Amino acid sequence: MSALDVSAETRPTATASLGALYRLLLRTQVTVPRLLGIAALGALSVLLGVFARWDDDPVQAAADVAASYGLGIVVPLAALWLGTAAIGDLVEDRLLVYLWLKPVARWHLPAAAVLATVTLVVPLAALPLAASALAAGAGEAASAVLLAASLAACAYAGLFVAAGLWFRRAVWWGLAFVLLWENGGARASDGTARFTVTSWARSLLSTIDGVDVPLDGRSAAAALVVLPAVAVGGWLAATVRYRRADVD
Amino acid sequence: MSTEPRVVAEGVSKWFGSLVAVSDVSFDVGPGVTALLGPNGAGKSTMLRMLCGLARPSRGTVRVLGRDPRADVDVARAIGLVPQQESVFEPLTAHGFVRLAATLHGLADPGAAAAAALELVGLDPADTRRLPAYSKGMRQRVKVAQGLVHDPAVVVLDEPLTGLDPRQRAAMIALFQGFGAEGRCVLVSSHVLDEVERLGSRILVMSQGRLAAAGDFRELRALMDDRPLRVRVRTDRPRELAGALLEAGTVVGARLDGDQVLELDTNDARELARALAPAARDRDARLLEVLPLDADLEGVFRYLVQR
Repeated sequence: MSALDVSAETRPTATASLGALYRLLLRTQVTVPRLLGIAALGALSVLLGVFARWDDDPVQAAADVAASYGLGIVVPLAALWLGTAAIGDLVEDRLLVYLWLKPVARWHLPAAAVLATVTLVVPLAALPLAASALAAGAGEAASAVLLAASLAACAYAGLFVAAGLWFRRAVWWGLAFVLLWENGGARASDGTARFTVTSWARSLLSTIDGVDVPLDGRSAAAALVVLPAVAVGGWLAATVRYRRADVD
Repeated sequence: MSTEPRVVAEGVSKWFGSLVAVSDVSFDVGPGVTALLGPNGAGKSTMLRMLCGLARPSRGTVRVLGRDPRADVDVARAIGLVPQQESVFEPLTAHGFVRLAATLHGLADPGAAAAAALELVGLDPADTRRLPAYSKGMRQRVKVAQGLVHDPAVVVLDEPLTGLDPRQRAAMIALFQGFGAEGRCVLVSSHVLDEVERLGSRILVMSQGRLAAAGDFRELRALMDDRPLRVRVRTDRPRELAGALLEAGTVVGARLDGDQVLELDTNDARELARALAPAARDRDARLLEVLPLDADLEGVFRYLVQR
């Protein structure tokens, strides 16, 4: 072959390259410690759901478990652990070189990383939260909990994939973000809550009949736009960084 | 075969904060094998990263096939890189790893291309073991296979012979030379002089981030052999031996260090090697130790930089 005429060569289709990168990242993200850690968090949410069954208002109790423990701890930590590792591990292990020097649009890898992270976080963290609602005997809340947790997973995946590219020791920065901003900031005031993923995700729980969720001016309809927008923003930030980065 | 340069670097520098890794390097590389020689830390890997677009030059320009490898992702189609790092995707098999590269290069049949590339480097495509189970040499060959799977016009190999046994080295060198003979541009970095000697006739020598020398290997080898050299000789009759060598003009300086040690300066190491033993025999002197000083590769590079 003569590859001198580069323009005559074809790039892989977006489906082919995204698919290959997605499968690769799924395999590199999945490690036994990560799976066990996230599964333990998910299992604890189911256990809390069982306890909520004996509450005077099990539906409200199930929603509270989902709002405070699920959306405040389980989903962000699962997304943090997997999202920062998606590309961040490749950078630290000096593996990015095998993906960067390919005729593939730069947005593909961050997109595959966000998709792979969501693929793992939803079954490992969002589904147990829905199961928690079922365990509490609040079956009518399960779908809203699943939706809220899944959209939160998308938003956090975008943010933490970007963090994995922008920051060294992104897990620690992300942990501080989750604890101080997403939990502390969300409770500090209405103004700061408006800029947290968890508050927008909680607003989706207001669609459950008979559940009291402080909306503070937010709406469930707006959350359906804001949370995916945060995911897209994170993916764009990751793409910008990936395009500019020197690859080791 | 076109002899047009495939890879061109013009006034390329790269610094990281106050550390200058590459300083004002210019060269061009055409078809055939070219070796990039230099000690560890000379800037070879940084230079290769810039040639592949992996790093942006702080100053200067790099062109591969006339295009900017940093800005134009399609140039990647023509470049095959075997990086220096040992890390590989651990969950993958050798075939999976190489097939991934083939898929991302848009090859029509990635599985078949991966199998062919693995066979080219002497590995079994049907091996189901994951990469961590491979020896260092086998992983090195897998890395070579992923760099060659898309049949690139420009092949960049960063210390590709590391971890290979002598038989594997010989096979790899023959493979690279074959690529060069086909008209591909093959750029190989190494810090081992003898390795480079076997690789090709054209070399670029880098030292301390600068291009110290460029040209035909034989000319540079002669230059290296002719450089001033200091040799330490331990003998039971140092004064007599020094006198004989000075008288014959074999050495240009001699210094006694204690009762038995003699440091000799020569401009012709080969002539000294030939004359030393006969001179000792004629003076009834016993040679207890002969040790070239400053004969390591660093010394050679320092000499080339100073010229």
